[in-house]
Amino acid sequence: MILRNIKKRTIIVLVAIVLIFPLMLTGCWNNRDLTEMNIVVGIGLDRTEDGKVLLTVQIVEPASVQSVPSGKDNKGNAQSKAVFVVSHEGETVFEAVRGILSTIDKKMFLSSSRVLIFGERLLQGDLEEVLDFFHRDHEMDYGMDILAAKDTTPREILAMETDMDSIPAVYIRETIENTVARGTVKKTTLVELIKDLESGTRQLTIGKITKASEKEVRTEGVAVLKDGKLVGWLDPYETRGYLFAIGKVQSAIVNVPTDNGKISIEIIRTNGKVGVVFENGEPSTLTIKVEIEANVGEYAGKGKLKSQDDLHVLEETLKEEIKKEIMMALEKTQKEYSSDIFGFGIYVRKYHAKYWKKVKKNWNDIFSKLPVDIQVDAKIMRTGIIKSTMSGDE
Amino acid sequence: MYKRSRKGSKTENRNTSNDNTYTDTYGPIPKSVEDVNARLSEIFSDCTDFIQREISCGKNGLIRILVAYFDGFIDKRVLNQDVVHPILDFFSNTELNESRSIYCRLKECVVVNNDIKEAYDMQQAVDGIISGEALLFIDGDDKALVIGVKSPQGRQVEEPDTETSIRGAREGFVENLLTNTTLIRKRIKNPNLKMEMMHIGKQTQTEVCICYIKGIANEEIVREVRERLKKIKIDAVLESGVIEQFISDSRLSLFPTVGSTEKCDKLAAKLLEGRIAIFCDGTPYVLTVPYLFIESIQATDDYYDHAYFATFMRLLRIIALLVSNILPGMYVALVSFHQTVIPFNLMITLASSRHGIPFSPFSEAVLMIVAFEFLREAGVRMPRPIGQALSIVGAIVLGEASVAAGIASNLMVIIVAITAVCSFIVPPLIRATMLLRFVFLAAANFLGFLGIALSAVVVIIHLCRLRSFGVPYMAPFSPLTVSDLKDSILVVPIWAMVTRPRVLRQENARSTRGTKRQEVKAKH
Repeated sequence: MILRNIKKRTIIVLVAIVLIFPLMLTGCWNNRDLTEMNIVVGIGLDRTEDGKVLLTVQIVEPASVQSVPSGKDNKGNAQSKAVFVVSHEGETVFEAVRGILSTIDKKMFLSSSRVLIFGERLLQGDLEEVLDFFHRDHEMDYGMDILAAKDTTPREILAMETDMDSIPAVYIRETIENTVARGTVKKTTLVELIKDLESGTRQLTIGKITKASEKEVRTEGVAVLKDGKLVGWLDPYETRGYLFAIGKVQSAIVNVPTDNGKISIEIIRTNGKVGVVFENGEPSTLTIKVEIEANVGEYAGKGKLKSQDDLHVLEETLKEEIKKEIMMALEKTQKEYSSDIFGFGIYVRKYHAKYWKKVKKNWNDIFSKLPVDIQVDAKIMRTGIIKSTMSGDE
Repeated sequence: MYKRSRKGSKTENRNTSNDNTYTDTYGPIPKSVEDVNARLSEIFSDCTDFIQREISCGKNGLIRILVAYFDGFIDKRVLNQDVVHPILDFFSNTELNESRSIYCRLKECVVVNNDIKEAYDMQQAVDGIISGEALLFIDGDDKALVIGVKSPQGRQVEEPDTETSIRGAREGFVENLLTNTTLIRKRIKNPNLKMEMMHIGKQTQTEVCICYIKGIANEEIVREVRERLKKIKIDAVLESGVIEQFISDSRLSLFPTVGSTEKCDKLAAKLLEGRIAIFCDGTPYVLTVPYLFIESIQATDDYYDHAYFATFMRLLRIIALLVSNILPGMYVALVSFHQTVIPFNLMITLASSRHGIPFSPFSEAVLMIVAFEFLREAGVRMPRPIGQALSIVGAIVLGEASVAAGIASNLMVIIVAITAVCSFIVPPLIRATMLLRFVFLAAANFLGFLGIALSAVVVIIHLCRLRSFGVPYMAPFSPLTVSDLKDSILVVPIWAMVTRPRVLRQENARSTRGTKRQEVKAKH
């Protein structure tokens, strides 16, 4: 009987302890209403001329985003702006984040941010310094897109109004998705950036954003960084070559010249791999292997894809075309920027660890001097539902 | 059987209660009809509906018979036809034979009615009269005849309002106990269908009937039911809900451990599964024990329809049960703690719908849910014809005006509406859900998702601890009874449901946690 009672009591106490302990583990103790926060949708970071951090945030005004008749809109006011943009300077990012609170009404909620845009001047300095805050803060959304602004400032881009979407940051993010589908911009998320920066084996690239017009932005190309500092840019074609090499192209349109005109080929599946060939314990050649599956999308001109042979010829030209693009990207990064954005370093670290330890510091120099062997394997899968062009000569 | 159990319960009643005048013994039945008349008039003084009639018949009116009954309780036409008329006929035509007493003759060959019992003392006679039977006292005999001529009164058998089904029998129970037992007898034509009568309630002497199928129902559970019913000491049993509260295993639990139904086919099915029914006179709600959690999501339609649909419906009900419990809590937790996990577009929608609401999400939710509960309760209580007015007020005030006035966000209205709809999908748990919803809400407001998880843990532990007449409440899930899973969330076709629920027939059905331990100890 006594034994039973003790046992029962012990169980109750144990259960109580188990239930009480988690109370101390709460990370998010604060009960904070959605209406008591400023929802940040875009963050811009730049440096002022005197080296301070300039933080710009784009904040949503939820009531004016949706035209849902909720009855509490200011009557008479036609359409208030959906977002407002605030900037603040600070010695560090965190100081700026807190400093902004002196000019806005509610606490900022950063994890809803869609994009993080770095200014050119900031990128020329050390990126690692400012990234620390985004890494350390528990409220950050690691999936937010990172962009580098060229010929403009983050503030300018965030302050732009657009007709496409009531929230400019959402518009920017969506253009990135589109451009990624064209293979001309690299989508970089915060977590990828942090990973690459910490591993130190692959140099960073960040998608490029420019102003296309007063109300439009363009996201094409990438910024090339070396050891966290901006060294240059790649144009859309070079970017595509770079993405082919690392297998990041989802789809793309490649134009191939033929005798009778031009053929646009739609790349539907690619696979890219980089490697390094070693001879006598020293790297001798860089290798890039790309496999491509494609469809014929358009034949502009006169001509006909009559036989298997025609397709083989087409495949060969496509290979050359892609090889050319990869070459362009590689040459620029080797010769001009001397920055291993392809991640040959990852391969070396993985398979030749001892050698890597020796050359870790000056791998970029070694990379710049190595010859390259590019192998492209292209397959044309389909040619569409017609055989000849409309003006095809028979 | 019937008589024995009745007697048994009565003697017990008599022994245990001294404070009540009714149960005092009235002594033997006087031999003289005049004395009986006087005695009855004394007992039933001021009862204007009490009727006594003296019949004098035979030569010179020598044979005197007293008929006593309550007006309206019995069928007068039957009484006259079957009892009074034959008596008058018989004694006016027949020579009086002294060899057999008039009493024996009346009992054996005069009274036409089949339902005849004997009363040996005044107590039994009075019991007979108050339970609606006609009493026949014969001058010179200290026994009386109890003649069952109860008139069939009350509601017609009709479709129950509270439990409707698309397919299945439309018959529902009524207030009359005998009608109810007949409805079951009609469905289960089997001598093993046992009905044990007993009387509960010191003042009301309500007839209660334990019904089970011998050989299918677990004997130990039947015994347990009998014992628990005998232990009930209360003045009045006006509804089976009173019995339910007395015989529940854990009387403080929010969850029902005794089931109740109004549907005949449902009850028959439960009996055939090995459950025990408790009928109670005066109410159409029949109790079933043991009642398990899984029964709350079972419906009769499930077995009449194809198993695919039944399984889908079960899933739907489980989801509805979860939703009606935790949806408001989830919303509050999302909006006030875990904004990080809300997808971006939804977040903007949320924020814009919450914009300008003067209340915190928690108070907003409580406000709207309480308003809904007001409406619901009003709908139950108020007279039917006003119903329309209420639904209009409800729809406009809750749905439109509160949003337009900026008191509640339109999303909250949607959430409360979904919650309300879902809570009606699992009727047996409506009341438990109603309260648990607030528990989850408060926990969510205090600790977010963690709070919801913690309170869910508490609720689940409680559910797993519950027992209904010794049967684990969460069976077949906990303890896992694989063979019983055929009729849980998954419903297999009826031709594949070969075995009866195993949990209802387990060996040690009476076991509580204590007895199990004792067994273990005894082994060592």
